[in-house]
Amino acid sequence: MAGLFTADIENRGLVLDPRTKLAVMITLVVFALGGAGSDIQAVAWATIALSGLPILLLATARQWSKAAVFGLLYAALKSAELLLVPHLSGAALSVVGVCCLIFVRLMPSLIMGAYMLSSTTVSEFIAAMHRMHVPQQITIPMSVMFRFFPTVLEEFAAINTAMKMRDIRIGGRNAGKLIEYRLVPLMVCSVNIGSELSAAALTRGLGTSVRRTNICKIGFHAQDIAVIAASAAVYILWMLGLTGVVK
Amino acid sequence: MKGKDLINIGIFSAIYFVIVFIIAMLGMIPIFLPLLSVLVPIFGGIPFMLFLTRVKKFGMIWIMSVIMGVMMLLTGMSWPPLAVSVFSGLLAELVYRSGRYQSAAKAVITNGVFSLWVAANYLPLFFNAEKYWASRQNYGQDYIDTVTKLMPTWMCPVTFAAAFVCGIIGGILGMALMKKHFEKAGIA
Repeated sequence: MAGLFTADIENRGLVLDPRTKLAVMITLVVFALGGAGSDIQAVAWATIALSGLPILLLATARQWSKAAVFGLLYAALKSAELLLVPHLSGAALSVVGVCCLIFVRLMPSLIMGAYMLSSTTVSEFIAAMHRMHVPQQITIPMSVMFRFFPTVLEEFAAINTAMKMRDIRIGGRNAGKLIEYRLVPLMVCSVNIGSELSAAALTRGLGTSVRRTNICKIGFHAQDIAVIAASAAVYILWMLGLTGVVK
Repeated sequence: MKGKDLINIGIFSAIYFVIVFIIAMLGMIPIFLPLLSVLVPIFGGIPFMLFLTRVKKFGMIWIMSVIMGVMMLLTGMSWPPLAVSVFSGLLAELVYRSGRYQSAAKAVITNGVFSLWVAANYLPLFFNAEKYWASRQNYGQDYIDTVTKLMPTWMCPVTFAAAFVCGIIGGILGMALMKKHFEKAGIA
C-alpha cells in the first residue's frame, strides 16, 4: 500500500506508456470483469490468456514477488472455478462458489491496478493525462493527491502506534474510541501539512493560468504496440464471435 | 476556482481515498464485501464533512467525486463507479449549493448523495448476470441457485439505498466530531 504511485525509476525494467496501461485496463474491465463475450468459447479462452497479461507485465517491471503471488493466487482461483466448483454442493459450494465468482472476475483488473500504480510515476501519469486533454481542474488535484498519499500513510502509521500504546485497539481496554482517536488526529495533522503543501505548490506556480510543461518523456514504443495488439486481438475475436465466424 | 481550492480537493481526496482503501482491504474477505457501501459512507463522512467547510465555489465536490471515479478505474474496479460519480457528484454539488455552501443540514444530505459512487462498485457484478450464467451452465444449477440466492438482483438498488442512508449517518457523525474537535482546534 505504501507503494501507491511511488515507482522506482532506477530499476523498473520495461516501461510502457501510461495510456497503453489504461487501454489494457479497459480491455480487462470489459472482458474479465464485465464478462463480455463469455458465451463464445474462443473469447472465453482469450480472456483467460489476457488475464495473464498483467502478471506478465508485473514480471517485466521486475516486481517478481508480486507477480508470483498474484499469479499463483489467480491460477488457484481460476482452476478452483473450472475444476472444483462443478463438483461441490451445499455450504462448501456457497463459500467457494461466491469467492470464485467475485475474485476470478475482479482479480485481473485488480492486478492490473497494482501494476499500474507501482510502475507509473506521478509525472508520467500527469503527462499522459495532459496528452489525453484532461482538464487542469482534474489533473492538479490528482497530482496533489498522489503527492500526499505517502504523507497520510506515514502519519496514520505513527498515530496507530501511539494509540496502540494507549490501549486504543481491537480487543484493548479503550476499543470504543478506536476510530475517533485515529481519524481525528489524522485529519488535524493532514490539514496542517496540507496548508504548508499548498503554500509550497503555489510558489512553484501550480494553479496559474499558464500552460504547464513537463520534462517527462512519454510515447508509444515497440512494447506498447505489442501490448495494444494483444488487447485488440480480444476485441477482434469478440467481433468475429458476434458475427458467427468463430465459436 | 483558484489553485488553492484545487489543492484542497487533492488533500481531502487523499485522506478520503486512504480511508476507502483501508476499508476496501476488509472487502477482500467476501463477507465484508456488501458492507463496503455501509462502512465507506460512514467513515468517509468524517473527512468529507471537514472538506465541505472548505467548499465555497461551484465544482469542488463534483471534481472530488470524479476523482474518486477515476481512482476506481485505475485500481481495477471498472468504469460504472466513474459513470455514476460524474452524476452523483454534480447532484451532491447542487444540493450543497442550494444551501449556499453553509447549511449544515444540506451538508449531511450532500454526504449521502456523494456516497452513491461507492455502491456503483457492485454494478459490474450484477451487470449481464444472465448472460454470465448462460455461459456457466456446466457448473450445474446448484451453483447458479446458490449464488443468485446470495447476490440477488434486488440487492443492487438496496446497496445504493444503503450508501445513501449510511452517508447521512456518516454526515451526522462527521458533524458531531467537527463540533467536538475541529471547531475547538480552529480548523473547521
